[in-house]
Amino acid sequence: MTLPKFISALAKPILGLTLAVLALTAPLSLPPTQPVERYFRVEASQFAYSPGVLQVNPGDQVTIDLVATDVVHGIYIDSYELQASADPGQTARLTFTADQAGLFRFRCLVPCGQLHPFMLGKLQVGPNLLFLRAVLLSLVGLLLVLWKKPLPIASI
Amino acid sequence: MEKLAKSLVAVLILLVAAVPLLGQQITAQPETIELRARMPENGGWSQEFIYGQVNVPIKLRMTSDDVVHSFALGQSSRPSVEIFPGKFSETELTFDQAGEYTFYCTRWCGANHWRMRGTIVIEGPAAAAQPTSVPPLFLQLGLDLDAPHLAQIIPPNRPDTARARGRTNALPDGLTVGDTIWSKSPEALWKDLKADEALDDQEVWDMVAWGLSLQGSPGWLAQGRELFTQNCLACHGESGKGDGVMVRDLPPMNHDKMGSEATRPPDFSDPAVLLGASPALLEGKIIRGGMGTGMPYWGNIFTSEQIRSLVLYLYSFQIELEERP
Repeated sequence: MTLPKFISALAKPILGLTLAVLALTAPLSLPPTQPVERYFRVEASQFAYSPGVLQVNPGDQVTIDLVATDVVHGIYIDSYELQASADPGQTARLTFTADQAGLFRFRCLVPCGQLHPFMLGKLQVGPNLLFLRAVLLSLVGLLLVLWKKPLPIASI
Repeated sequence: MEKLAKSLVAVLILLVAAVPLLGQQITAQPETIELRARMPENGGWSQEFIYGQVNVPIKLRMTSDDVVHSFALGQSSRPSVEIFPGKFSETELTFDQAGEYTFYCTRWCGANHWRMRGTIVIEGPAAAAQPTSVPPLFLQLGLDLDAPHLAQIIPPNRPDTARARGRTNALPDGLTVGDTIWSKSPEALWKDLKADEALDDQEVWDMVAWGLSLQGSPGWLAQGRELFTQNCLACHGESGKGDGVMVRDLPPMNHDKMGSEATRPPDFSDPAVLLGASPALLEGKIIRGGMGTGMPYWGNIFTSEQIRSLVLYLYSFQIELEERP
């Protein structure tokens, strides 16, 4: 007994689509990490933060020392709604618990010159899930491209 | 009828002519000076000089073209006015004495921030005989501010005021408030005391600490710390090591070849640097500035009391000082 031809022709796209949807929406549960204390010394100069990407895990106790090295700079972390500003020579400190997972921008709070609106940094709380999903998705694609054999369903 | 119409036209014409004149009368206000603040590399204050008259208010309308600046008057307790780009800040100044006043920026706006200074010239009848101001001690003594002054004798432990007070109630004569102690480096003071007193080296150092602690006016420690934090720390560094964010790319200071190249400020964590400098010498360096080293002059910004507090605060990098209880 053979299935109608259109089913066997559709089997691969349907399987691919299902896997793709799964890769994008499946709840990824990663092993929880032990909260630790993290300290960052972020140097702010026109018009960048160094380091510009801060990586922590959910639950971590984060301390950020903001050091301005040329003019007055500030920091505002999106979603956490924390802010501080630092004059050169006067370090500003932010202490908080990273209780929201995800990727958050932080930006300069004090007008510091022409490119001030572009003075941005990233706070990454937990793993970059979007990146992991993108990797899964491309694996699905790769699988479908490389799998030349007809799917077993076709020969039932 | 024709007469009426003619007079009506005449009145209307007169009214039209009167409107601008009346308007000028109504809107006439004291002159407002627009002062733009820019980073020193881009020109600093838009006006280096502001002219005014005694007891005539000067209205300033200020804005910034780039970063955060702030307007303050030297040797004045007037709070500074923040200047933000895109916003106008207004302030009014009135001077009751003729003379020249310094205005300056108080927010760090780049490595040359301290160059943002200007002068307000107030004209008017010559002020009544002013009390002749005493020149600062370093001028009276004729000190050479640029001579090397490293101390040879280093205390075994950090000199501590509390330890000295705990040991005895009697303060030696040489340690009371006055120009004597202000003109001697802690090292010189130590040598003098060591010759007179039957104490061991550390005990004498503690006495020196006590003596210096007594030189400040009430609140000097907090005042000195605040002044240092706001004005000095960006170059001299949090630890006083001379590694502040503005100068950390420069080579460390070479005490034998001062002035030959741009270097970091001296390392206050090295006992030889501060213990060999008298308060009068440090005061002179602050008043006059570094003459080419990048150290600004503060003589027309700080009051003499502020400079005194700052000098004493500097010693706290080496000596445990305390305010009078």
